[in-house]
Amino acid sequence: MNADKLLDAKGLACPMPIVKTKKAIDELEPGQILEVQATDKGAKSDLSAWANSSGHELVDHQEEDGVYKFFIKKG
Amino acid sequence: MAKKVAIIAANGGLFDAYKVFNIATAAAATDAEVGIFFTFEGLNLIHKEGHKQLPMPEGKEHFGEGFKKANVPAIPELVEMAKEMGVKIIACQMTMDVMSLEKEDFIDGIDVGGAATFLDFAYDADVSLTF
Repeated sequence: MNADKLLDAKGLACPMPIVKTKKAIDELEPGQILEVQATDKGAKSDLSAWANSSGHELVDHQEEDGVYKFFIKKG
Repeated sequence: MAKKVAIIAANGGLFDAYKVFNIATAAAATDAEVGIFFTFEGLNLIHKEGHKQLPMPEGKEHFGEGFKKANVPAIPELVEMAKEMGVKIIACQMTMDVMSLEKEDFIDGIDVGGAATFLDFAYDADVSLTF
């Protein structure tokens, strides 16, 4: 999946992945895709919850070598 | 309409600070309007010097290592983040009077108010929490 912007949140612990994601998505236009890469094990449930309560859509997520990749469409 | 989160911070240790500022910054990240009322020991968490050296609960000092390992952000960093995201910080006037503290003893950008100030913010909050 092609993203319009990539956020590297690897190595960050809660709540920083969410906080940084929020800041990154503020710079996008509605409909654009943000890719977030994180290693925080809590990020998986947190990012989908965050998208849900912030009006964005988690369109895809993958895990690769301990790195979680999230693709979020700005609402 | 935007969501609103009202928090009372009434305890002054390092763990308390994480509980308060993690929820506050996460709430702000979901576009919620967030207000925290710091009262009694909670004032430690926004004290200019105090918030940089908050104590661990007695007997729990060994968790210091875990904090480093988990790469948890330092409290001053979380406080800055909270302020940057527009979290409203209210210090309790009455506690300040009891403890002989002035507004200048605290981090910049705080409001000082009483119980009614917090309640006015909290009455129409969607979530209210006490730590």
